[in-house]
Amino acid sequence: MKNKTLLIINTIVCLALLTFMVPFLSGCGPAEHPGLTLKVGIMTPTTGPAAEKGVPLRDANLDCIQYINDELGGVNGYKIEAINLDSRYNADQAVTNINQFMDEGCLFFTTSSSAEMSYVQEIANRLGFPGLVAYSSPNNYHPPQHVYGQMPDYGDDWTAFTKYYLENIWQGTGKPKMALMVLNNSTGAGAKNAARAMADTLGVEIIATEEHAATTLSETVALSRIMALNPDVIYISSTPKPAALIISEAKDLGMYPDVTIGVCHAAMTSKLVELGGADIVEGVYGVFPTISWNDDVPGVAKMKEYAAALHPSDVNNGDYIAAWAQSLIIAEILKKTLDAVGYDVLASGDATAWAAIEQYGFQGLDGYDVGGLQSAVKYVSGDNRLGKSLRINRVTNGVITAITDWVEAPLIRYEDYDWFGH
Amino acid sequence: MSLPCGTRNYNYAQDMAIFRTRTHWVLLIGFLAVLFTVPPLVFNHLWLNTVNSIGITLIAALGLNILVGYCGQLSIGHAGFIAVGAYTSAILTNRFDMPFLVGLISAGLVAGVVGIIFGLPSVRVKGFYLAITTIAAQFIIIWVINHWGLTGGFEGISVPYASIGGLVFDSDVKQFYLVMVIVALAVFFAKNLTRTKVGRAFIAIRDNDLAAEVMGINVNYYKLLAFFIGCFFAGIAGALLAHTTYTLTAEQFSFTDSILYIGMIIIGGLGTTIGPILGVVFIKITQKVLLPIYLVPFLERTFTNFPAGFATGVAPMVFGLIIVLFLILEPRGLAHRWNLFKAAYRLWPFSY
Repeated sequence: MKNKTLLIINTIVCLALLTFMVPFLSGCGPAEHPGLTLKVGIMTPTTGPAAEKGVPLRDANLDCIQYINDELGGVNGYKIEAINLDSRYNADQAVTNINQFMDEGCLFFTTSSSAEMSYVQEIANRLGFPGLVAYSSPNNYHPPQHVYGQMPDYGDDWTAFTKYYLENIWQGTGKPKMALMVLNNSTGAGAKNAARAMADTLGVEIIATEEHAATTLSETVALSRIMALNPDVIYISSTPKPAALIISEAKDLGMYPDVTIGVCHAAMTSKLVELGGADIVEGVYGVFPTISWNDDVPGVAKMKEYAAALHPSDVNNGDYIAAWAQSLIIAEILKKTLDAVGYDVLASGDATAWAAIEQYGFQGLDGYDVGGLQSAVKYVSGDNRLGKSLRINRVTNGVITAITDWVEAPLIRYEDYDWFGH
Repeated sequence: MSLPCGTRNYNYAQDMAIFRTRTHWVLLIGFLAVLFTVPPLVFNHLWLNTVNSIGITLIAALGLNILVGYCGQLSIGHAGFIAVGAYTSAILTNRFDMPFLVGLISAGLVAGVVGIIFGLPSVRVKGFYLAITTIAAQFIIIWVINHWGLTGGFEGISVPYASIGGLVFDSDVKQFYLVMVIVALAVFFAKNLTRTKVGRAFIAIRDNDLAAEVMGINVNYYKLLAFFIGCFFAGIAGALLAHTTYTLTAEQFSFTDSILYIGMIIIGGLGTTIGPILGVVFIKITQKVLLPIYLVPFLERTFTNFPAGFATGVAPMVFGLIIVLFLILEPRGLAHRWNLFKAAYRLWPFSY
């Protein structure tokens, strides 16, 4: 009886204390600014030939912004207003989208892919409208202007994979013979450019470069040509669907697994395993600039929670991680700028706001830890890649598993090569 | 007091005029006044961009209509010819610092010449066989663009702003005026071409090339001329596209686009000048505004239980369905509807 009375008294005291503390506790968080938002344009290829990547990318972008707005109270109390437009992986639509972003007063914009950014970067650079691209290619920011890369680019992928191959897989003498199978856009061009710039330095012989479209239905003819040249390694710089097709056909032709296959980070996602089949793509190497789904880092728990609750089909998808990280970086860029110039400068969403975003937001990043989801983002003058490290992964038992620690991708100054862009 | 009871022509000039009555002239001047004043004042970036895109597409569609609609030479490689014009202007202005006007005219001429080259098979084959050769044009042109150093390959090429004298077309509004002036000239040319000896020869070849030859028409010459004119229009459209998007990659000129151009002139009404205008406006607004801006958000709001990406996935299907329904319900195109409306307007309030 005595204990029960004590329990009741304790409960009443606790409730009273809680009631008393609520106003003070709410004062500890960022002050809310209802109705005032920070607009950001987010472009994703939700339909079209890269939709298998665009959907999880879009989901993660928006899920993370929902998390930031709902659970973190926005950025310094201002909600992020994401204007998400589908690019259809199409130049005409992408140009319309960037115009709409500017028209609606977005402070900056993001694209998922290097191709989308290639379509609009000229407009962005001429008008000083800052852009952030998740999966980038060297042509997006060489020479550096107003476009920034969230992670290392497709050229860095090739360099990192080739180094790994030479140091850990290649056991022959002389230069290994490498064939490139590249998508016929900036995704493929990134690997081609890196190979052109670095093949001799690294000690690898490029024996063939075969191009394909995102909608390709067969690459058997190209693979047969490559097979005749007796390659040691094939590197695929493409999206999951064509990459899965190529690997499958390489297996049918008896090339794989005798020939090592490596893929770029656009292809190295769970979609590759899903589309190609776990037994087919088993043992394929690939580069990816974010953690794997099952890695234990601080930022992963919340991401998994949202994916499971809102988009269960995206669970285990690497693209979801990349876009979740992108939204966290979006928030950090906004925070840095708000801290430096306040909301009033950003309220207009015009060229003055864009300049502030670039100066204090993008260029103010100085080692922001993206919850461990990717390498910390930092701006270094002359290098518009904000994240600079990646990891080599391998499909093991049907799961993409990291086999190296983070590897720093050195800056390649493509603009110094006469052939670059010509 | 005299009362009007019909439109009479008293000389050949009146009979041949496109605008024959005061009402026609008032409507034309009123339309042009609205066209050149309202959009820049009222439209935002999205709509101006859409209008500019409509204008550029219309120039290309007018060219295709001359080739397919009037002369009966089926071409399924029009996006390739547009690409030739776009890259010609881009290369001349970017790599060789030529003025925009030189780039523009050269774009038309080079595309026209390339059109003649790929139109040569029309001398021997027609119909589906000719269509296959123009498909080849599409793929060959895109391959060359991807592999020729001057074009920038897969990474594309940047294009400077269009400029004439000191006037730089560096905004949507300025580009709107540039595009619309060229659209007006193109429509005027296309409309009048069909009333000339050349236009009548095109129509004769389309209706029956053997009969045309018997009548003394040099069929081969006129077929190649149709290719030149059609592709000249495509080249001009390409140059404008280049100078309004600022970056070119070969992906902007896909085979799907080539087919869509055919769809536009069929939906609008083959062999009419108003047809391409209506077809392009209908397709472009549906494709760029109605589906992505209105239908997709509506579906996402309404069907919340469907999986993510459902609405955006449905949009292309709806687009396809609209085209199919259109072809079933109005195979003669929007131009036919327009003619019915005009006839009803003339006779109103009487039925006959």
